Order: sequence, then C-alpha cells, then structure tokens
Amino acid sequence: MSARLAPIILLAFAAISQYQPTVIGTQRSYRLQPSLLFSRFFSRIRSTRRRFPPSPRSYAEMSEAGSKLFERKQASYKNLDGRFEIHTEKYQGQQYSHIYFTRLHHMRNLLYTLVPKWKPNLPVKTVLGLEEGKECIIVGTIYKHMKLKPSILDEYAKERSKVPLVKPHNFLHPDDHLILEDESGRVALTGSFLDPSAFVTGIVVALHGKETSKGDFLVQDMLEAGIPPQTKLPLSSREDKYVVFVSGLSIGSSEFNPLQFQLLIDHITGHLGDENEQSIASQVVRLVVAGNSVQIAQGLLSGHTIAPRDQSASVEPIKELDILLNQLAAAMPVDIMPGLDDPANYSLPQQPLNRCLFPGAFAYNTFLSCTNPHQFELDGVLFLGTSGQNIDDLFKYSEAKNRLEFLERTMRWRHLVPTAPNTVGCYPFTNRDPFLVESCPHVYFVGNQEKYETAFMQGPEKQLVRLICIPKFCQTGIAVALNLRNLECHTLSFSTSLDV
Amino acid sequence: MASSGLKNFYRQKKKGGVAKPSSNRSFAGKSPTVSLSHLVDPVPSPLHGSGAGSDKASLAAGIGEEEDEKLRQFDMDMRYGPCIGLSRTDRWERAAAMGLNPPTEVEAILLKSSAAASGCLWDGRV
Repeated sequence: MSARLAPIILLAFAAISQYQPTVIGTQRSYRLQPSLLFSRFFSRIRSTRRRFPPSPRSYAEMSEAGSKLFERKQASYKNLDGRFEIHTEKYQGQQYSHIYFTRLHHMRNLLYTLVPKWKPNLPVKTVLGLEEGKECIIVGTIYKHMKLKPSILDEYAKERSKVPLVKPHNFLHPDDHLILEDESGRVALTGSFLDPSAFVTGIVVALHGKETSKGDFLVQDMLEAGIPPQTKLPLSSREDKYVVFVSGLSIGSSEFNPLQFQLLIDHITGHLGDENEQSIASQVVRLVVAGNSVQIAQGLLSGHTIAPRDQSASVEPIKELDILLNQLAAAMPVDIMPGLDDPANYSLPQQPLNRCLFPGAFAYNTFLSCTNPHQFELDGVLFLGTSGQNIDDLFKYSEAKNRLEFLERTMRWRHLVPTAPNTVGCYPFTNRDPFLVESCPHVYFVGNQEKYETAFMQGPEKQLVRLICIPKFCQTGIAVALNLRNLECHTLSFSTSLDV
Repeated sequence: MASSGLKNFYRQKKKGGVAKPSSNRSFAGKSPTVSLSHLVDPVPSPLHGSGAGSDKASLAAGIGEEEDEKLRQFDMDMRYGPCIGLSRTDRWERAAAMGLNPPTEVEAILLKSSAAASGCLWDGRV
C-alpha cells in the first residue's frame, strides 16, 4: 500500500511546499515541519470536506514565472489580557463582598470628581446621612429587586403556586424596584425619573434627590460615570487592513455545517477565487473567534460514566476544531476566546483554552488562546470584547430596544459585566474588579448574538466606538470584517444551499 | 465626609474576653461573654478588655491587649471594606493601595506578629 501512496505523497509534497508562500507570506519565523505537512496532507485525504487537490488552473498560475505572489499584511499586536488572568490569584475562602467593595470604591472616587461639574451646589451624603426633605447627592450601587428572578430558595418556599409562569428569556416584571446601597446602608428609590427596566444590579451611579417622609429616596436626576477617555487613533494614512470576527461555530452540534465553515477558511486563507479575491483575502490581518466554538452533547456532560462508544463523541468536536484551526493558524494570526459552551471554566473571566486541546494549532506561533473578555491592540486600535455572556445576561434582566443599546449602556456605566457576580458567575476578586473599563476601546464587540448589528457610538469628549454584535455562525453563516483604517464593518456571508 | 460619624455609629468594642471551651489556660473567674456594643462615647479605651481576660489567639500571637484592640478596630472599620475572607495583611495592603491611609501602627503590629497578621477578627468564630 505504501508503494501506491508514494508517488501521490511526493506530488502532494511538491504541491504543498510550492503554494505555501502565497498563503502565509508573513515574515514571522515559520518553521515548515515536514511531519506537520504530511499530517496535514493525510488529514486532507481523510476528510471529505477538503477541496483537494488545488485546482489545476491555480496550480499552473502559481508555477508560472510571472505569477502574482500576495503577501499577507501584518499589524502590530499587543495582548492586554493580563488583568483577566486568575492564575496569580489565591483563593482564601473569600466571598463576593470584596469585589463589590472595590467596585464601589473606584467608581465612587470617579463620580466624586464628576459631581461638582454636574451639580456644584449640592452636598454629597452617604445613605445613612440622609436628612428628610433636604436635597442632596448620594452615590452607591444599584440593586434591582426583581420579583421573577429565580432564586435557589424557591425550592424551599411553601407557596410555590403563587409564582406566575416565567417567560423563559426575560425576568422583568412591572413591580421591580431599585434600591441604592453603600457601605452604610440602603435606601429604596422612588419617583418616575428612573425606569427600573433599564437598570440592573451592580452599577454605580450618583443620584440627586431627597428623602421622603416614608424613608424612600425620591430621585430627581441621575449621573452615570459616562464613557471613559479614549486615546486618539493615529491619523496617519493607513492601508486597508481587515480583522475578521466569527463566533458561535458550535462544532459538534446539529446546526454546524462543515462546508460552510470550510468556505470561510478557504476564503480568508486565499484558496478561493481569482487574483482579485486573493488580494482582498491578503488584507485580513487577524481572525478572532469569539466563543462557543464547540458544542458537546448535554447528555455526555451530566457526570455519568460514558460508554466507550460515546467517548469519541465527546472528543470529536474538539479534534475537528483543531484541524480547522490548524488551517487557519497556518495562514494568519488567530485569537480564540472561550465561550459559554467551550471547555473552559464557567465563571468570568474565562481563562484561555488549554493548549493540550489544540495539539495541531498550537504548533504555530500565530495561534493565541485568549481569555474572555478579551482586550488587545492592533496598530494602535484598541479592541475589547466578550463572547456574549454579559449582554445575554443584561437581556435577561433588563430591557432595551436592541442589543447595541446594551453595549452602549455597559460602556456608559464603565463596566463590562455589571451583573457579575449577581447573576453571572465571577471569580471572587479581593483587591480589584477587572471588568471596570478604564480606557475606552475603539472597537467593542460581543459574540454569539442573534443577528448582526453594528453602530458608531459617540462620546461627549469625541470618543468614537465601533459597536459590533457578531451573529452565531452556525445559524447565520455570517462573519464580520472590520477595516482598521476607518473602522467600517461589513459582513462575509457564506451559504452552502443550492437554491439562491 | 461623614466618616467620623460612621466610625462612632459602628464602633465595635469587645468588653470581655472569650473563653474557648478547650482552653487550657486558667482564666478562672473571668466572664466568658463577648459583648459588642455600639458605644456613644467617642474615646476608645484600649485597656477596656484587659481586665476581663485575653483572647487565646492574641496571647498565642504574642501581642498585648492594646495591640489586639487596635487590630480589632482595624478589622471592624468599614472604610477599608469587609474583613472576612481576607488576611489582615492583605486587607491593610489593599487599603494602602486604594489610598485610604490605613493606620501605620496597625502595620507595625502586623509585621511584628505573623499569627495575628494572617487571620482576622472572625476566624474560628463564624
């Protein structure tokens, strides 16, 4: 059998080693390990999804003397995930009070600097120092008391029948009310100025109002921290460089269409199309996979021992993802973030996916496993994004006209995940809250949303943020491409159905 | 700020010592009750708890009554945040990093005795 395969191997090796340069053209030290090439070759033969061999026309083109060699553009990358790493933290049995304390402390100091410009003549008090009838300003953390919020104590409540049927996706109720808390005490907020459906537990605001005779606080005005300061984008004339975002691949689920994702891979690695297409593909400098790349069947995760025939079903999705990422990492820098369904820890900040999950892809130095939330800088453009848990949680506990509004709100509250640790799992930090946004990003993205939405958000100090909602690729077949030069977005839509 | 008012409001002072059931030391005749009362008088008396017997932990740590009192007041002070789940040194360093100016004599006591520094007021009691 090996004698039959030998000429094919030789031909393929020639083919692969010939057209590698057009695909990767980077100046990084890229070691062509022969064993890797062979393994790639064999994986191509095995899987029916691969388009192999390269079409005779393109192969002929490449071997011509005057054929166009496209080099992929590069951008200087800086990873800023340091504050989301928790391997330096030591768990001492602490609870969540510390994270709320640090959040309140930092945000309150910030608000104290903003309050004199907002309402200069009013005294600033703590909750316990409120006097009835006197107008003042108080600063604290908002707590939203929600009637329909699922509580673990409901299991033990005797009158279970009183709880009405809960809408599965949203726990809002007209009776929800807000309470403001600081270290000294809490006070209920009344008045028609604040609409509880727009707020969630965990944000820190300053309120102007006065105490009523019933002991509540009548709110007359509110100050949020506002969009943080932003470093200006360098105005030098830049060339078109694209960053491609994709999320919700859900490999291993019934919705995953391998051909669709393969089309995406082939397109951005430059295997598809003529010179025009390839030149466009060579302008993609980075791919960011924003969470939920695999989906393992729920039955296998229940903790029971798995039968040997089912064991492969639990590892197959990761292996498939590794093969696909291998192709991508060979062509361009790839950042992969964990999501809710990925094999990473549950509570935010999710730690990078382990390198033993991707034995093939990790051989390339262009492959980077990142935390969720993920922050990085490309050519001076600051990116910040999550895999969707923060916005999905806001959607469950508050209301807005679209998902972009949630993004705007989190930026105005200067906090990525305000509902952590209340309804979103979070590590109990003691001396910092890593989700506080200190400097405004230029691009703020969130993955695993229902549909593609994008907008420009303007801040009062000329901050400009591109907000992007990345849709789930397994359901929509849409990836998002962002131009670094002018922060314009467009979609890349892939479909494998034959009816147009 | 209303911080001094809060300190008065939330002053926690131990009047008596705690006698642990398995204690081998002879504290015969001392009252085993712990009273934490919100006091109105603003003058703290560090010697208040000295006559009623010492805490086993503080004696084991090798620090005297007054220093133990200072540590307890540092633990109870709300300005520096909650104290459970964090060692005193960590909490002091966190307060210093946040710019809250925690008292330097507390730092001196914590450096002197590592047993007191690693615990907090509620160790073994909650």
